Amino acid sequence: MYKPMRSLICIVIFFISVNSFAQTPMNNQEAIALKSLVKNRAATTKTILSDFTQSKHLDFLDNDIVTKGKLAFKSPNLIKWSYTDPFKYSVVFKNETLYINDEGNKSNVDIGSSKMFKQLNKLIINSVKGDMFDDNAFSITYFKIDGLSLVQFTSKDEKLSKYISAFHITFNKKGDVEQVKMIEPSGDFTKIDFVNRVLNNPLNDTLFTN
Amino acid sequence: MTRYLLISIGLFVFGCGSFPKNQGFTKTISSESIIENNYFSNKNTDYVYKAQIIVYDQHFGGLLIVKKIQENTHRVVFTTEMGTKLFDFSFLENDFKVNYIVDDFDKGLLIKILKQDFKTLITETLNYDNQYKIGSQSIFETSLYNKKHFYFFNNDSLVKINRTKGAKEKVSFQFSNISDSIAENITIKHYNLKLKITLKSIN
Repeated sequence: MYKPMRSLICIVIFFISVNSFAQTPMNNQEAIALKSLVKNRAATTKTILSDFTQSKHLDFLDNDIVTKGKLAFKSPNLIKWSYTDPFKYSVVFKNETLYINDEGNKSNVDIGSSKMFKQLNKLIINSVKGDMFDDNAFSITYFKIDGLSLVQFTSKDEKLSKYISAFHITFNKKGDVEQVKMIEPSGDFTKIDFVNRVLNNPLNDTLFTN
Repeated sequence: MTRYLLISIGLFVFGCGSFPKNQGFTKTISSESIIENNYFSNKNTDYVYKAQIIVYDQHFGGLLIVKKIQENTHRVVFTTEMGTKLFDFSFLENDFKVNYIVDDFDKGLLIKILKQDFKTLITETLNYDNQYKIGSQSIFETSLYNKKHFYFFNNDSLVKINRTKGAKEKVSFQFSNISDSIAENITIKHYNLKLKITLKSIN
């Protein structure tokens, strides 16, 4: 592609993104402050209980596919996603196994042998806490958007990029994750909005069974 | 020896019998020659199904999403419940394209099975070769990707498709709880493989 053409496309894309999201880049100081707020918050978060709404966007559909449920997290690495609407499905991530309860049908998936699944699992846990500030794995950009903070983690790992090219995480003022958006190379994405979050209530390990 | 030979001949004759004959269908004649499957035919509908797949006693689930993009073109996508895309196919009139597939699913035989099953699900109009009746059901014999298929209708409502070989049922597609051209429940069962796909509409 000719250089002027490429520059023009970059400029157009830049303006489209600035206009459509009304987001402004953070300066260095703001970015450092946010990073330390989130890291502190993640370090002091022992448990999370939250409702979530998941929207799956596929470009060719008229409407996103919306599913709802509850998330439970216990530090360092117990996590349970329970979908309640429009179907009942829950999955517990424990050690190197996924324990699935699909409307009463129970099954286990051993992810120990799959490096990709292990990496995804770790990223899911980190994204729930928001702590994904790994400059080796991602190129990270920081934005301010309507009083919230948006951090875009673009994957540097070629294998991971085949599944998810970027994570966009929106934080509230306290440094809690409000939204996680996982973007596929095709542009389709999965967006998870968290509401009614309760932090650090004692959670029994038995909750993380299926 | 003679008895063995007779049994063998008997089995041979039975094995080579036609599917309609074995099922006791009565041949009928009509002036029409086209049948329709309207379950994935509305361009304004996002067809979303919760899917449960049992393959060789392994159980896994996900969401099956079907959309008619334009005349004779469908997208068929399968994701996990958590949204991870496992495969993304495009079906054009006489063409098929894999837009995306995870490495674990990228196997020729699996893709062929899925391609044939989904092609059967989304094909809307077919010319039929023969028509039969059994009880109140009308049955139409047709050919899809060079394989014999039988379409079962109950009062104009498609309730079952059978893919057959000789007298044997190879795959069955059952449609139930039908309302407004949407089959709330679909079951795809393979008889020569331990494979069963159960679909439940969630939109």
